[in-house]
Amino acid sequence: MFWLNCLRIFALATLTLSAQTHRVFLCGATSKGYVVGAKLPPSGLFTLTARETWDHLSYNHPFLSSLDYDRRDPRILYLAAGNGCIRSSDSGRTWRILTSWNVTELQDVAVDPHHPGTLFIALPDGIAASTDDGRTWRHTDTGISRKFTKTIRVDRAIEGRLLAGTELGIFLTTDNAAHWSRAAGAPEMITAIEQSPHQPAEWLAATQSSGLYRSGDNGSSWQPVSAIPAGPTLYKIAYDPRQPRRLAVCGWGPGVLISDDNGRTFTPRNTGLPSTQVWSVAFHPDHPGRLYASVHEEAVFVSEDAGLHWSRHGMEGSIIQGFFFVPEARR
Amino acid sequence: MNLLFTALLLLAPASAQTAFPERIRKVIETNAALPNGSYQTIAAKLYLHRDPQWCSRRLEELLESPSGDMFWMFPVTAVAYLDRGQLTPSARNALRQSWKTYMPFRGDTENHWLMYYVSLYLMSQLYPDQPGDTWYTGKSSSENFREAEEYLLHWMKLTTTIGQGEYDCTHYIGVYLLPLSYLAAWSEDPKMRLRAQRMLDWIIADYAIENLDGIYIGAHARTDDIQVLEKWNGVSSDFGWLLFGLGYPLPGFSYYALFYSVASAYQPPEVIRQIATDRSRPYLHRELKRTRNRWRFTDVRNAPVYKTTYMHHDYAVGSDQGGILQPIQQHSWDVTWALDDPRGKRNTIFSMHPYSSTYELQMYFTAMPDFVTEAVVRSKKTYDSPDKFLGGSPYEQILQDQDTVIALYDIPPGTRFPHINGFFPDNLTHFEEHPSGWIFAQGGNAFIAYRPLAPYEWKPVPGGGRRLLSPHLHNGTILQAASASEFPDFEAFRRAILALPLHFQLDPVPGVRFRSLRGHDLRFTYGQPRDFSQWKLFDSPYLQSAPGGRLLTVTHGNDHYTIDLRELLP
Repeated sequence: MFWLNCLRIFALATLTLSAQTHRVFLCGATSKGYVVGAKLPPSGLFTLTARETWDHLSYNHPFLSSLDYDRRDPRILYLAAGNGCIRSSDSGRTWRILTSWNVTELQDVAVDPHHPGTLFIALPDGIAASTDDGRTWRHTDTGISRKFTKTIRVDRAIEGRLLAGTELGIFLTTDNAAHWSRAAGAPEMITAIEQSPHQPAEWLAATQSSGLYRSGDNGSSWQPVSAIPAGPTLYKIAYDPRQPRRLAVCGWGPGVLISDDNGRTFTPRNTGLPSTQVWSVAFHPDHPGRLYASVHEEAVFVSEDAGLHWSRHGMEGSIIQGFFFVPEARR
Repeated sequence: MNLLFTALLLLAPASAQTAFPERIRKVIETNAALPNGSYQTIAAKLYLHRDPQWCSRRLEELLESPSGDMFWMFPVTAVAYLDRGQLTPSARNALRQSWKTYMPFRGDTENHWLMYYVSLYLMSQLYPDQPGDTWYTGKSSSENFREAEEYLLHWMKLTTTIGQGEYDCTHYIGVYLLPLSYLAAWSEDPKMRLRAQRMLDWIIADYAIENLDGIYIGAHARTDDIQVLEKWNGVSSDFGWLLFGLGYPLPGFSYYALFYSVASAYQPPEVIRQIATDRSRPYLHRELKRTRNRWRFTDVRNAPVYKTTYMHHDYAVGSDQGGILQPIQQHSWDVTWALDDPRGKRNTIFSMHPYSSTYELQMYFTAMPDFVTEAVVRSKKTYDSPDKFLGGSPYEQILQDQDTVIALYDIPPGTRFPHINGFFPDNLTHFEEHPSGWIFAQGGNAFIAYRPLAPYEWKPVPGGGRRLLSPHLHNGTILQAASASEFPDFEAFRRAILALPLHFQLDPVPGVRFRSLRGHDLRFTYGQPRDFSQWKLFDSPYLQSAPGGRLLTVTHGNDHYTIDLRELLP
């Protein structure tokens, strides 16, 4: 019995020591009062410090929409920016613009976990890919008509499979973006796509005016989620990585909506928020129930109970395009 | 002696008779004397080799807090090239360091990118062989240079094959001319200098043929709330005066004119000056341009824009085909008349549909719908106003035949602003609302007949003039202009117009049959197919260029000049 308890203690300690923690980043702009050409308030990439303040990293940049990280080394970040795709090899402190004049106003970036060095960017005029850590790029959107692409995701479970959210719907590829075809049932003007961290065949998509859509077959076909009516723009989707049946959706008008039954029903969680114009939401993977929300030109808000109660959490006057959780680099 | 010369220049009126070098000098001297300590003053002083200590000190102060993105890049680039050993090592170092520590946003318009890449090209040239960690891009000098050069060649080729996207801008013409002036002066590559000179010729010729005593007339990709009514009051007038001695510049000159002047101060060939100034014979001019990049709601990235301009000594009538060709600041058609001194005067008449929609904004911008209108209104304050006179509309279609315009409107129910606006200034010599439905007016020496096709009322316009407000979804305007010199008197003009056969209907769609004053039988129905297949990049007695050609032939009398970029652009 003694030795069994020692074994249990050892196992628990090992598990605790090896539990992955994450660094929190956000991409956003202090937009209140800013017009192009004027002095830009702090904008671009921020990281949450141990003091729970947002530390501005590197340059001021008015249009940073997304980031992803290199699965081999999470200190390497790829940023989707107005000036192009930006690479940082030191967790955001220094930047290098990877792309050239023929790429602009990036909407999203996705690193391929199956192919080291491969990444994809969503553009106003399609999709581009690099297979050499961003040194060279080629457009790879054959089959996508009306090229405006808002979001792109690599299926973490099926190699070669990606989904792109575009003006005309969700497009799917099974050959690493060489060819795309339109997924059945998805509406137009996709704003976000996310893959469930619990059930890899399950995906959700947010739209500009058609509500929320779900796929249970790896993104091949889509059906509307009746619990959220069409109309207002939905901007982001967040699965709770610690609670398999919990997810959050946010938008302009609905504010923050929480489901605890995998999307069968949604409940507004806006009490304590100054408005229901919400740009992004995300669950912290390390803290059960911790939810971040960006309220339009107000601030970042944080809840420790999945939106039941909110408190102001910096970034005054901002629009946050997304919250991102990057694993701390292991020694 | 230098001080006396300066004082005389500053005190002397900006006479049209001043020679080109003197006009250049006046612009520079005026800016050198400005008290505000801006980059333009530094540049002017460095050009004149004055106060280098002050320039260095002030430059370092300004560089402590850089801002303005591409609008910061080009002044600092000029200062860098005008340095010529005058700046202190500390100031020079601060300038160089700022290109590492400050990341300018590249922007989202054609003019932004030209400023951005010309600046990056020249700064990479000035500081060659430097590694990526010395530049905000993270790229080396050679990488920056190569990227900038590629873009510049791409832009030049696009402009000279399918037309400029941000064409004929009353304000942003300055932002096209000054970077090209920079390249023409400071590029170490003789081919790039030559390219820049030819592009200057191209863009200046484009302006020259569509100016009336220095006023930029006709349809514009972009103008603004002031210059759409007060046609003189903008940057283009600076360049009309600077390049050709025409009209009147802005008080104190725009800083675009300054930066143009301290770089190459390029003077266009005499034949272009003749085209700019000779209004002895009326002419018809057509142009092919392109829209700004369309990101959504269309399969065509850059749709064609078909412009028509009729130029007379006393007035000009110009138009595009209608539609949303540019976001927010498009101006589609008007008649503008010449005045001895147009400063402070509104000398134009036109109609338009005040369209405001996230559809337009999401077509041309990558923004999402909920905030985009508010974001636009923060800088373009009249965008979402029913009273505005600026902007294009998907519900407007325009036909121009010489100095006759027919503009038709088919506005769907539920449209945000379901009416059209017409503008009439308050300084018309004659103004009469005739029982026939025609409105007769005289501006300068231009006789104007304006026929609204639907009932209307008048509203005052702040700053002077009146707005013709016609709240009818099916609508239209017919405009016929003529010179006072064609008729014994205004009454004769009125009789001539009233005698012209006119038939129109508004339902089910607006349509007009009208015999113009020039004897042309015009038929135009909203939505009818139109044949623009023969449209050229430039087509007039003075300018000729075929699409795809990279070649523009300039002719005036026996003088010929060819702007040839075929060998210079890959």
